[in-house]
Amino acid sequence: MQAVSPQSLVFILIGTSIAVICLFLIRPSITVSREGKILAFVAFFILPVLATGIGASEHFERSKQTQFCLSCHIMEPWGKSLHVDDLSHIPAAHFQNHRVPADEACYTCHTDYAMYGTLRTKLEGLHHVYVNYLGKPMDPIHLYHPYSNRECLHCHLGARSFESNALHVAIMPDLKGDKVSCISSGCHDAIHNVDTLGQEKFWKPTD
Amino acid sequence: MERRLRISGVLLILGLIVEALTLCWNTAASFMSFMIFGGILLAGGVLSYLYFLVSE
Repeated sequence: MQAVSPQSLVFILIGTSIAVICLFLIRPSITVSREGKILAFVAFFILPVLATGIGASEHFERSKQTQFCLSCHIMEPWGKSLHVDDLSHIPAAHFQNHRVPADEACYTCHTDYAMYGTLRTKLEGLHHVYVNYLGKPMDPIHLYHPYSNRECLHCHLGARSFESNALHVAIMPDLKGDKVSCISSGCHDAIHNVDTLGQEKFWKPTD
Repeated sequence: MERRLRISGVLLILGLIVEALTLCWNTAASFMSFMIFGGILLAGGVLSYLYFLVSE
């Protein structure tokens, strides 16, 4: 049996709730009986609260998607930088070669792989959305904290291609301690170079 | 009494419709609409229903 998706479940709850509420709007006298009062409590309280809870959870889950991050106009250049036709560009190489899931590319690299990292990332995401719509976005946009090697090592540590590099092995303690940055110490420093996008060629995926 | 229930019902229906519509898109704007417009309408509907219950 196929499981009902959270979105379908929310639609079912919303539809049921609206149908029963409409019944009470047409015949409010139903609430006079004990059964009517119970049904009203379910329709006016339990179902809407349940639908909102599952709906909010679904929205939060979908906010991991690349499509969500790039839905803000201000993020357009960063989305474009994922398509640069130069694999020395770290985000482009990861996105185009599916080293990260393409549909969750932003989240995979920019989440916090520490304890409560998901919660912290979601709160920062809420802050991004708030600033974009109700505040004043940073100019130029930059990360709240320096990018931690922990996020790179979460996947690369233990990988043959990473550990067979003698330099990586030699500076491993410094990499783990964030004393040498993977991306800003001159090694892998071609990140989202949005200022030079005009000079770049772009990769077009085949459909 | 009936009027209060009607107001609560209308707020809830509007809030639920807003929530259902926002789930049709996956954008930051739909997320904000869910939280702000859907949330306010839903909270208004639920709270006015609860007020109706305690004042009945």
